[in-house]
Amino acid sequence: MEDAAKAAIEAVLKVGAKFADVRIENTTTTIIEISDGVTKRSLASRLKGAGIRAFIDGAWAFGQATDLTPKGMRKTGESVARLALATRSRVAKRFKIDGPSFQDKVRLKVKRPVQDVTFEEKIAFAKMIDDQARDFDGRVHNTRTVYGDLWTELYIANSLGTSIHLENSLPRIISVTTAKDGANRQRGIKSVGTRGGFEELETERSQHIGEESAKLAVDLLSSQAAKGGTYDVVMDPILNGVMVHEAFGHASEADNWPAHTTILEDKVGEKVGPEHLNLTDDPTMPGKRGSFEYDWEGTKTRKRTLVKDGILTELMHSLETAVLLDMEPNGSARAQSFMHPPLPRMSNTFMEPGDWNAEELISDTNGGILLCGYNYGYTDPSKGQFMFQANYGYLIENGELTELVRDVSMAGQILEVLAKIDAVGNDFSMEAGTCGKSGQAVPEMSGGPHARIREIPVGGA
Amino acid sequence: MLGLEKFQWEVRELDRELLEIGEMVVKRAEELGASQAEAYVAASRSFTINVENSAIKSASEKRDAGCGIRSVIKNGGIGFAYVTTIQDGDLLEAAAKSVELARASVPDPDFFALPSHDGTYPAVKGLFDPAIQKLSSEKAAELIMRTVDATNEAAGSKQTAVEAQLNTSAGTNAIVNSLGVSGSVETASMFIYSSPTVKDDNDQTSSFEFQVSRNLKNIDPEWVGSTAGRNAVNNLGGRTIEGGDMPVILTPLAVSTIIGGGFGGAINAEEIQYGRSYIADALGKSIASEEISIMDDSHIAGGIGSRPFDAEGVPTQRTQILHRGVLKSILHNSYTANKDQVDNTGNASRPSYSGLPSISPSNLVIEPRKGALDDLVSEIKKGILFRYTGDRPNMTTGDLSAMVMEGHYIEDGAIEHSVKNTLVGINMRDLLQRVHRVGADVRVTSTVVTPSIVVESARVTSG
Repeated sequence: MEDAAKAAIEAVLKVGAKFADVRIENTTTTIIEISDGVTKRSLASRLKGAGIRAFIDGAWAFGQATDLTPKGMRKTGESVARLALATRSRVAKRFKIDGPSFQDKVRLKVKRPVQDVTFEEKIAFAKMIDDQARDFDGRVHNTRTVYGDLWTELYIANSLGTSIHLENSLPRIISVTTAKDGANRQRGIKSVGTRGGFEELETERSQHIGEESAKLAVDLLSSQAAKGGTYDVVMDPILNGVMVHEAFGHASEADNWPAHTTILEDKVGEKVGPEHLNLTDDPTMPGKRGSFEYDWEGTKTRKRTLVKDGILTELMHSLETAVLLDMEPNGSARAQSFMHPPLPRMSNTFMEPGDWNAEELISDTNGGILLCGYNYGYTDPSKGQFMFQANYGYLIENGELTELVRDVSMAGQILEVLAKIDAVGNDFSMEAGTCGKSGQAVPEMSGGPHARIREIPVGGA
Repeated sequence: MLGLEKFQWEVRELDRELLEIGEMVVKRAEELGASQAEAYVAASRSFTINVENSAIKSASEKRDAGCGIRSVIKNGGIGFAYVTTIQDGDLLEAAAKSVELARASVPDPDFFALPSHDGTYPAVKGLFDPAIQKLSSEKAAELIMRTVDATNEAAGSKQTAVEAQLNTSAGTNAIVNSLGVSGSVETASMFIYSSPTVKDDNDQTSSFEFQVSRNLKNIDPEWVGSTAGRNAVNNLGGRTIEGGDMPVILTPLAVSTIIGGGFGGAINAEEIQYGRSYIADALGKSIASEEISIMDDSHIAGGIGSRPFDAEGVPTQRTQILHRGVLKSILHNSYTANKDQVDNTGNASRPSYSGLPSISPSNLVIEPRKGALDDLVSEIKKGILFRYTGDRPNMTTGDLSAMVMEGHYIEDGAIEHSVKNTLVGINMRDLLQRVHRVGADVRVTSTVVTPSIVVESARVTSG
């Protein structure tokens, strides 16, 4: 692998580009989908190839190769370099890619490597979860269970001297249950996703995820669609994580700065929220789905303190954005696969806990709504506008949780909403997810404590 | 064999080569114990230029080839495998894995067989424009910079940063199975996009516009750029409004996500069979206003969703979905059609060799009625012009709560100002029934061909 990467890097530089990097990936994945007790889909895949980038004067070019012989890599390297040279005259700003280089071989220690577990065992596990959901209640109408795993060996090298071998292993189990009562149909989704071997799915929670989703679907049968209006919203840890991810995380990815596409552009070092607001992105947390030791440019990762005491202090950087903004690279460049160029991305993103007891937070709220879980969320950092949909929630009247409501949406402007966070809980948990940006999906986690936002528009159907 | 090296890319014999690979893989799976097998082989070249802050930032050229295999064993167990190369060793490994998975699977009693076909496929015109395949990187750069210039010009004196992208893609897909299916098709498409962020003293906002076409001549950089620039300026000064129940005009982009995604996904036979769609037991019944007729049309010349055969190699057709509000048909692949014992509509789909087969509309065409967008606006006393949202409904309940990513407040038949922090909430079943006007301002968004539509009343929350 080192030889193939070296051949490509030398070819890129020889043609005249000033920086080159290469990612060589060998990934296997398994997806097993069981629905109503039978296999609906089972898929095994192998992704094998290299992504090569060339850079000169501010112009990037990217290409991919599946011929990993030194000859094939040289050829792709040359053509990528020529593409960079062809566009260099049209760049906005000339600069150089520079930064620290790293050499390391990181082995991921797991008890039961997912690639060694038989298809039979994976299918039996998914079937067990699916049966569990179906047997939970007579009103369960449809069950769907998706087991997924990914095993990656990645080699990253660049013309600054970086040479990094990485491994990754991400098992996941998702249970989706539809419950039906007359014409009323409701859906519950629960999942566990971690970083590690198959043993991560042998934990107590993973083994009962089918029951969890079935219980939620059945409970939701007695829910009402929420009435749109302005509420004091208490977010549960999962939804809080989505809020931090969508409302703030994306806007603090540093590629928005040279592009002038973030509402936070003038806010580095400035106040963006109340003093009790602390937001963090940390890829070094052990066993988390969004964790990695080096990023896809081969830069060592570290914890990123995005917001400290209400001040925006750090951004998510690639090598390029660190140069352009004259800040330290912090290992935030990620790519979906060798077929994609790396971009600044989040990893495990969360709000740091505060000092409110979660129960006190609810009993202190009147005319509010507790929002839990999420269906999806998205944002437009250039407008600062975000939206996400909670999976379900409870109305809060005089400090008491009352009616169960579902599919509640919340929208707002980043800075307006952060300013309205007046209470942060002392509890903490995180949820696994997958984040999309520029057509690339990467695994992530997000979370935090319970937290309250005062007077925010909430939409119901 | 050295992967892509063996291809003469510019020669149109690629389809023959891919079919041969497919036949080889199917044969291998059968030797390993598959009673039926299918191979989906694709090879493509795509070229992309990205613009950031009004200047070229990066370019990429990807040559991708791979194969997806489905094996069925005698007891009905099914397994899939794919690989991102077409090297012999990798193909054989994938074939073996698909059979291994089929053996381990819990057989689905509703699975009947892979589709068979021994005839010809319909001729669908305009899927491959050699001019797109041959577009040089210099010409591509010129086209995208014209788009950027037009954007900046339309944004006028406002401080503007433009993100833009041009992408061309050309390739061949081939599908082969044990039951006689054997087809290949060559396609090309092109996409241009511009997204300006504009600032004035008090506000920062953005907009976007795009075009996607299978014909180079249809691409109009000046239209994309000037529309994006003008829209961004018009989005400045967004305000909240007093909420309540009011009419909402969905422009084609909003229709594309709300109806295209939110209804197009609900007429998926698989979702309906599992009771996961808000549409159930509705065939032959009136589920929408008489104003709406919708066709799934895979034969539109040059249509982005057009195709002679679906992702299982079944010939495609034109299928009337809604006629004057009555649900005439839903969308099937071979599995769901066998299960319901109805004709297969040929709507099996997969994003590429790497995706799992599912069901999706080809081109969803909403029949135009009358009126330009200005006419629709002029008829509204107090309401919302809803240009774009990223939201889709909850497919099981039909509940939709959509953020107005771009939209304007209408009063007394005139556009007043853009809106912010505003959500539109309605159940899809009500939305379909409450469409009381369908315009004539047809636009092709990508796989949705639609005019603007007016929903008589929806709950608007803003604050």
